[in-house]
Amino acid sequence: MKLTLRINGAEHVVDCEPHESLRVVLRREGLFSVRFGAETGETGADAVLVDGRLVSSEIMLAAQAEGHDIETVEGLDTGPGFDPIQRAFVATGAIQSGYSTPAMILATKALLARTDNPTEDEVRDALSGILDRETGYVRPVEAVLRAAAMLRGEEPDPVEAVLVPPLSFAEDDDLAEPLVLPRVAPRVVPNPEVPETRVVGHPEPKVDAVKLAKGKPAFTDDIEMRGMLHAKMLYSPHAHARIVAIDDSKARALPGVRAVLHHGNVARVRYASGGQSYPNPLPHDQVSFDTKVRHVGDRVAAVAANTIEIAEEAVGLIDVTYEVLPAVFDENEAISGNAPVIHDEPEMEGAHDAARNIVQHIHADVGDVDAGFEAADQVFEQTFRVHQVQQCPIEPHIAIGWLDSDERLVIRTSTQVPFHVRRMLAPLVGLPVRKIRIVKPRIGGGFGAKQEMLIEDVVAHLVLATGKPVRFELTRHEEFVSSRTRHPQTITYKTGVTDEGVLVSQSMRIVGNTGAYGTHALTVQMVSGLRGLSSYNCPNKRFDCDVAYTNIPVPGAYRGYGAPQALFALEAHMEDIAHELGIDALGFKERNWTRVGDPLDVAPKLGEGAGEMEVIPVITSSGLEECVAQGKRAAGWLRRYDPDWRMPADRPHIRRGIGFAMCMHGSAIPGLDMGAASIKINDDGSFNLLMGATDLGTGADTILAQIAAEVLGVPLEDIVVYAADTDMTPFDVGAYASSTTYVSGMAVKKAAEEVHKQIAARAAILLDVDIPGEIELRDRRAWSADGRSVGLEEIALHSLHQDQQHQIMGTASYVAPESPPPYAAQFAEVEVDVETGQVTVVSLVMAVDCGVPINPVTASGQVEGGMVQALGYGHCEEMVYDEDGRMLNPRFGPYKIYRADEMPHLEAFLVQTMEKSGPFGAKAIAEIPKDGVAPAIRNAIANATGARINQIPFTPERVWRALGAG
Amino acid sequence: MRSIRAYHRPQTLDEALALLTRSGIAARILAGGTRVTTISAVDPFEVVDLQALSLDGITVDGDAVVLGAMRRLQDVVDSEVVPAGLCELALREGPNTLRNAATIGGIIASADSESELLAGLLVHNAVISVATSAGVNDMPLADVLTDRGALRGAVITEVRVATGGVTAAARTGRTPADRSIVAAVARLAPDGQTSVAVTGVAATPVLIDPDRLDTLEPPGDFRGSPEYRRALAAVLVPRAVAQVRETE
Repeated sequence: MKLTLRINGAEHVVDCEPHESLRVVLRREGLFSVRFGAETGETGADAVLVDGRLVSSEIMLAAQAEGHDIETVEGLDTGPGFDPIQRAFVATGAIQSGYSTPAMILATKALLARTDNPTEDEVRDALSGILDRETGYVRPVEAVLRAAAMLRGEEPDPVEAVLVPPLSFAEDDDLAEPLVLPRVAPRVVPNPEVPETRVVGHPEPKVDAVKLAKGKPAFTDDIEMRGMLHAKMLYSPHAHARIVAIDDSKARALPGVRAVLHHGNVARVRYASGGQSYPNPLPHDQVSFDTKVRHVGDRVAAVAANTIEIAEEAVGLIDVTYEVLPAVFDENEAISGNAPVIHDEPEMEGAHDAARNIVQHIHADVGDVDAGFEAADQVFEQTFRVHQVQQCPIEPHIAIGWLDSDERLVIRTSTQVPFHVRRMLAPLVGLPVRKIRIVKPRIGGGFGAKQEMLIEDVVAHLVLATGKPVRFELTRHEEFVSSRTRHPQTITYKTGVTDEGVLVSQSMRIVGNTGAYGTHALTVQMVSGLRGLSSYNCPNKRFDCDVAYTNIPVPGAYRGYGAPQALFALEAHMEDIAHELGIDALGFKERNWTRVGDPLDVAPKLGEGAGEMEVIPVITSSGLEECVAQGKRAAGWLRRYDPDWRMPADRPHIRRGIGFAMCMHGSAIPGLDMGAASIKINDDGSFNLLMGATDLGTGADTILAQIAAEVLGVPLEDIVVYAADTDMTPFDVGAYASSTTYVSGMAVKKAAEEVHKQIAARAAILLDVDIPGEIELRDRRAWSADGRSVGLEEIALHSLHQDQQHQIMGTASYVAPESPPPYAAQFAEVEVDVETGQVTVVSLVMAVDCGVPINPVTASGQVEGGMVQALGYGHCEEMVYDEDGRMLNPRFGPYKIYRADEMPHLEAFLVQTMEKSGPFGAKAIAEIPKDGVAPAIRNAIANATGARINQIPFTPERVWRALGAG
Repeated sequence: MRSIRAYHRPQTLDEALALLTRSGIAARILAGGTRVTTISAVDPFEVVDLQALSLDGITVDGDAVVLGAMRRLQDVVDSEVVPAGLCELALREGPNTLRNAATIGGIIASADSESELLAGLLVHNAVISVATSAGVNDMPLADVLTDRGALRGAVITEVRVATGGVTAAARTGRTPADRSIVAAVARLAPDGQTSVAVTGVAATPVLIDPDRLDTLEPPGDFRGSPEYRRALAAVLVPRAVAQVRETE
C-alpha cells in the first residue's frame, strides 16, 4: 500500500505492506535512530513522537501513522553541535551504549513540551517506556532535569566529581550524620597517594557522544547493502530430540528463497562457541548444524531469502522428523547416572564424563580441609540455589556479512570479541583467517552474551552459499532462548570456625548447569570457585565442582561470570554463621576478610590463567574498610538496630531491614588476556588511537583515549579513536573479564609512552637540547627542562614533511602478570510485607575501590547500571519453563526488568586506592557491581523479618512461604 | 503482525461495522494497536482502524463520566473529570509509550485478567456501549467481560463510569510497577455501598463479595500458585476496603 508519512516535517511517500510497523518503514526511509529492541515493543528503543506523544513504533502500523506528525531524533539535527537536550545527555553521562538514547531524547522533548519544570516523578514516568540495561536511569533522569533547566534559561553547574572526605577511622556514632551531596555528581573519596593528572580522573564527555546523542548510523544494523538477503533460523521445538529427516524441498521451492542450510549440506566441524583465547577450552561440543537438538530453541536449519517475510515463511515450510528423547533440566538430576545422555555423539571428546552428563570436573585444595573441620570449634553447612537469567542487551545479536571486492568475507557484527570470532569462524567456513574481516561498530550492550561466536557462522555460511550480503538479527524471543544466559548452580558451603569467629576451614561444592553446550562451562565455574574462596582468609580451602549438561537454553558468559552466584552463597553463609555464633556479621566478616599483603592462595589453582602463575599473588591494594565506612553512612546502617524503624507503627504489616555484602572481584585474566594499541601522530599534532579493545557501551573508548591524552599532554579531543576492526587495529582479546581498563589501558599507556619518546626525540632536535628524556608534554606542546617549548603541530609537520621524515607512531601490547582485586561494600535497604511476601527494595548503596577511576562519571555509571542488573538477578528476573522445557516468559514484562519509574534510590561511591600495577592506578570496575546486591537484599530481608532465604530471586510467593505465612 | 493482510480506516461507524462483518474475511479492530500488533496469529486477518470515527470524547453526564472508546489511556490519566482513583489505575496499566497508544476501549476488549483499570471500571459500575449493525446495546462491563460473543462484529463506542465515592487499591507484585499478581480495588459509593473487584484470580477481573473469598478458584502461574493467589486476595481485599473506609 502507498502511504504519505510526515516525518520531521517532510512528506515521504512510501510503499509498504499493511502489516509493516512504523519502525520498519522509518528505518527503510533512512531514519536509523529508530531501533529494534523487542518485537512486542517493550524496550522503547523504537520510540518516536507521533503528534508529540512518545509511542513505540514497533507496535504501531505504519498505516496508522498516516496523517500524523512523526518526529525522530534526526529532526533535531540541524548541523554541527548539539540541541540543548542532547547537550544535557552528554554532560551528565546519561549515554552508555547510546542505543536507546534517541528515544530518551524524544521522551524528554515530549515532556518538556508539556512542562518546563518537571518533577522527578514526571521525568521517571516520561522515561518509563524505555528500558535501560546500562545506566540504572540515574543519569538519564538527571539529564532530563538538566535539559529542563537549560531550556528555562538556567546555567547548570558543570558535572564534576565531589570529593568526599575519607571516613575509615570514624566511630560508628560519626556515621549517623547523613552526608548531603549534590545529585548525580560522582562521589570520589580521594587518596593522597594518587598524583595530579590533567585528563585522567576527570569526567570527560564520551568520545562517541556525537554519533550516539544524534542517533547517527553507528550500530551494526545501520547500513544498507544493495541486494541484501535476510536470514531466519528454524529452531527446535523439543528439548531433546534426534533429527531423523529434514525435507527442505518446499522451502527451496518458495520464490525468493536463496539458500536453506542444515546438517545435510553444511560441513560438520566441531567447535566451542565461547569467545576465549586460543586454544578454546574443551570440549568442542557444537557444530553449525547438528543431527540432534538439545534444547528448545536449538538450531535446526537456516534460510536466506529476499525478505524477512519470505525467510520466515520458508522456515515454516521445512519438514523435520524428530525422534523425541527424554529430557533433563535440573543439574543434580542430570549427573545422577539415571538421566538421558545429552552428548552421545561418537566424536565427543574432552568432557569429563559425557555418559553421566558431567562436562567438567574441577577440584582444588589449599591446606587440609578435613583436618581443618576436625580442629574447628563449630562447623556450619548450607546449600543455596541460584537460577537462570538473561543478559538482555537492548540491542539483540545481529550480524551482517558480505563478500568485499577482493572476495574476502566481511562480517559487521555486534560482538565483544571480534578477533576471537575471526579465528574461530575460519575453520567452520573453511577459509583462512586472512580471508576474513570482522568489524565491530557501536554495540548496544553485551554483558557477556556477545562474548560468543553466536550467529556469525550462520551469516558466513549463508553469504558463501549465496554470494550475497546477508543480515541476521535475533528477535527478543530468540535472544532469550537461543543466545546465552547465566549458569544456574547448586552451591554448598561448609565452614569451620573457632568460637572467636576465625575461619579455620572452608569447602565449596558446586553443581553447575551449563545447559545444552559447555561454552564457558569450565571457566565460569572456576571463577565461582576462585571468587567464592578468595574473599576471606582461611588456611584450609577446598573447591569441588561438577558442571552438568542439561536441556535448558545455553548458559555462557554474563557480566560477573560466576562471581554473582558464588558471592550470593558466600555472603549469605557468612551472615548466617555470625548469627549462629551470636556475633555481629559485619564484624565477623571484617575479622576474616583479605587485606593488603594477604595471599590469593586459590588463584594459582583456579582461573583461566592458572597454569601461567608461578607464585601465589598477594593483594596489593584494598580500600574495603573505607568502602564499608562510606557505605554505612550513606545507607543509614545504624537504623537496622532500631526496632521502631524496623517496625513502622503506621504500617503494621511492614518490616524494614538493611543488609550488607562485601564484594571482591578481579581485573582481567592474568597471564592470558592481551590488549594492544597503536598510536600515530597527524599533521596538526592530533593522534589516531587504533585499538582492538571493544567498547560495548561501557565508555571504554573514552577512558582509553583519556589515558593516551594524559601521556601525550593533549586534551581528549585531540585523540581520534578507532576500534575495533580485525583489518585495521591491533589484536585485543576483547571486552570481558574486567580487562579493558586494566589490560588494554596499559597497552594504550605503553603505546603512548613510545610515541612520547619519539616526540621527545624530535623536540630535542627542534629545541636543540641534548637529553630527550627530559622533554615533557603538556598543553599540546613539548617542553624542555629550561622552560622552552615547541608545539606538537610543528613537531608533526617537521617529522612528516621536513627533515629526516618519520611517522611518529607507537604500538604496544600488554599482558597482566596479575589481577589485582577491586573491592566493594554493597548495602541494600528493603521493606518486606509480611502478609504478602512482597519485597520492596528502597535503596542500594555501593562503595567501590576500583583503584583510580579514569573517568569518574563513566565509572559511576558502571556501578549504577551494574547494581540494577544485579537487582534484577536477586529480586525479579527469572527464566521459567514448562515441563517440556519451553520458556514461559520470553518477553519483557513477564520477564521483569526494572523501569525508570520504579527504581530504588541508587548511590555509588568511588573509593580511590593507588594500584601501582594498573594504568594511572586503575583497577577494574565493570563486573564488581554485579556481585553484592542479591546477598545484600537477602541479608536485609533477614534483618527485617528473620527469614533466611537461600534461593533467588526474592519473588513474593517465595518470600511468603519462607515467612511461614503459607 | 505478519498476519495482517489489509488495513482499513473507515470514516463512519457504519462503514466500520460493515468491514467487521464481511463473510469469509476475518477482521479485527485496531484501536491503539498495542495488542493487535503483537498477536502471533497464523491465520491472516485484516484490521479496521477506528481512529477516524471521533470516538475519543469525554463528557460529564450527571453523576457519571462518559469516555469515548478510542480515548487514550494517557488522556484518562490526565483527565480532570475521571475519578482520581481510576486515573491512578490507568497510570498503572503500562509505561507511557503504551499509555500514549492504548485506548480504554481496547483495554475493555482485551479483558486482561491482570488489568487493574478493568477492576476499577467494574467497581465504578462501568456500562459499555456496544454498537452492532442492529443498533447500540448498553451492557454492564461484567457482562462484556464474561460474554465474549457480545463483541463479535461489534464496536465498543463508549464507556459510562459512575463518579463519586472513594476508590482505593491494594496489590502485590514483584516490583512496584509490575503487573500485579493479585490486586484488589475497592470503592465506597456515595450511597454507602462498598464494592470490590479483584485481578489475577479468574479469567478476567471480577467483582466479588468480600465475605465470599473462599469461593475463588484462581488459576496459577509462575508468579503465583492458586493457593498463594487465594491467600493474597484474603489479605488485599480487606486492605483495600479498610483504605476506602479510612479515607471517607
